[in-house]
Amino acid sequence: MSNPVMLEVKGLTTKYITRFREDVYAVDHVSLKVEEGKSLGIAGESGCGKSTLALSLMGYYFPPLHYTSGEIIIDGRNISRMDPDDIRRDILGTEISYIPQSAMNALNPTQKIISFIEDVVQAHEPSRTKKDIHDLARKSFEVLGLPAEVLQKYPVELSGGMKQRTVIATSVILSPKVLIADEPSSALDVTSQKMVIKMLKNLLEHGFTKSMIFITHELPLLYNVTDDIMVMYAGQIVEKGTAQEAVFDPLHPYSKGLMGSIIVPEYGLRDVELTAIPGVPPNLKNPPAGCRFAERCKYVRAECEANPVPLHDVGGGRAYRCILSERELRDFYTREAHMREAHQNAG
Amino acid sequence: MKGYRKYFLNKLLWFLITFVCAFLLNFILPRLMPGDPVAAIVSRLAQGMSNTTGVQAIYQQYADLFGTNKPMVEQFFIYVRNVFRGDFGFSFAQYPRTVADVIKSSIVWTAALQFPAIIVGWLIGNTLGALAAYLKGGFDKVLMPVSIFVSNFPPFGMAVILMVIFGVSLKWFPTSGGYGFDLIPSFSWSFIWSVIVHYQLPFWSIVLIAIGGQAIGMRSMSIYELNADYVKYSRFMGIKDRKIVGYVFRNAMLPQITGLALSIGTMVGGALVAEIIFSYPGLGSTILTAVRGGDYPLISATTLIITIMVLIANFVIEISYGFIDPRIKAAQSD
Repeated sequence: MSNPVMLEVKGLTTKYITRFREDVYAVDHVSLKVEEGKSLGIAGESGCGKSTLALSLMGYYFPPLHYTSGEIIIDGRNISRMDPDDIRRDILGTEISYIPQSAMNALNPTQKIISFIEDVVQAHEPSRTKKDIHDLARKSFEVLGLPAEVLQKYPVELSGGMKQRTVIATSVILSPKVLIADEPSSALDVTSQKMVIKMLKNLLEHGFTKSMIFITHELPLLYNVTDDIMVMYAGQIVEKGTAQEAVFDPLHPYSKGLMGSIIVPEYGLRDVELTAIPGVPPNLKNPPAGCRFAERCKYVRAECEANPVPLHDVGGGRAYRCILSERELRDFYTREAHMREAHQNAG
Repeated sequence: MKGYRKYFLNKLLWFLITFVCAFLLNFILPRLMPGDPVAAIVSRLAQGMSNTTGVQAIYQQYADLFGTNKPMVEQFFIYVRNVFRGDFGFSFAQYPRTVADVIKSSIVWTAALQFPAIIVGWLIGNTLGALAAYLKGGFDKVLMPVSIFVSNFPPFGMAVILMVIFGVSLKWFPTSGGYGFDLIPSFSWSFIWSVIVHYQLPFWSIVLIAIGGQAIGMRSMSIYELNADYVKYSRFMGIKDRKIVGYVFRNAMLPQITGLALSIGTMVGGALVAEIIFSYPGLGSTILTAVRGGDYPLISATTLIITIMVLIANFVIEISYGFIDPRIKAAQSD
């Protein structure tokens, strides 16, 4: 608990401005905290704003994404009012680093890996010599289990999994304080996925990064990799807790539904019937005034749709966004579980 | 590297086969044209002659000289032998000038007109296209439609428009020739000035069309590259914009290099229209007169030049591309 906080975000709101000048608030008052040595997972279905959150956390915005309000504090340094050029020089890649969603195309096809690493390092430390950078790159690649020959290759000469791991190694070449991984394994086959996940776990252990945010739509993955999990829905955080809590004991009806719709291959979830959440997420051009999940929620009441629902903090780092009390929700869930059991036995 | 050498040799073989085929066609096609060029020469020379045996004798003499009375196959082997000796024979229509002499005097004009025009058009077009992609907004909105408009002009249309506006109406530039008809080629100031003035209209008629086409291609390539994932990733790794723009334009340039090499390869063919309209004394005009006069050796020689230039340009692109683009090299080595 006493670890220094590496990344603290307070009420971050960012929006897309479409070409018809409409505002789409894809990240709405998001607050989070990641301590040194910890990792935070962010889950949600497509279009919930998780990738936008990843981009927004970098503190560097380019159209159509725009900053609206909120603060980003990296290791005690507030970057939300910084000049974009300064952010690029002093923050990106050194303090906070990014692994893109499609690492497949994240490397310039006509540049050798080592040459790109040279550019990255020299953008922040212009005085470093090539030899120095080569030594650094060789050393980190070795520790991360990548062959040093990769450095002399072009991206096209690498396999998909190798390309992804190269991107990861490049992202942490300057030992950032925060690493944001945006679905780094979603485009890979299962074997490569496993290697990438193993590598990401290693990053924290070997001090390549001091903290990590891992974004994915695959919850089982998060459960295995991260300490804490946040669930996003329609641009907002709807649930926050440890990985154990979020996966096995979700409070918010949406997270409950999300967990019910996937297979987590851990003990206690075998033979569970999968359920789907009906409906689609709301259009963020005109989000509903009240609870954004109300339309799809089984437990919806008239009050749900009247006013915005605040994030309800239950202590110990847990929070959920629902007007129902923890008890009411748990009662619903227990009753449903019983009914399902009875149904199964009858069948 | 071994795979690459195999690729190289394979390509070389195909280019040789293409060359042989083109060489054959260059020889055969002009000779399939209707009309007897020797008869045309004889009738010109024998004007007013009433002695049929005399005319017959002149005909016989020229047919022997040009070898047109031998069977086609024999003519072909003689032609091949001579070409490999560097001898293209006499020009029928401009006898007693040799083909080599005719080409030598005209190719300089074509090269001096086309090379700079293609390169200037390519450079300006690519710069404008890259700027349009990078700056967007008003610049792009003006440049794009203008480029599309200009690049879709047929070459003769552009040449005629420039001629009418700047040659006929405004009388700023002469409308025909490579230099004033009253001058003799020399290194005098008045001759050089005359050449420069005569140069402008054909030059710009080629450049303008090239600019439009290149700008459109470069713009879309640059937009594509600017939105590539590696641009975003490079930004998020803190790399400066100037460096990223360098990556983008290098990559966007690659397909454009093909365009440049191809237009240099086809430059003689491309010169035809502009040269004919402005009566420019280059290869284009030479080809036209050769075709009109049934001047087989001259047609074969000029088309052979075009063939060789296109083949060399293609071959150079194929091979050099592997060195500038690692993706192509990887594909070639497979």
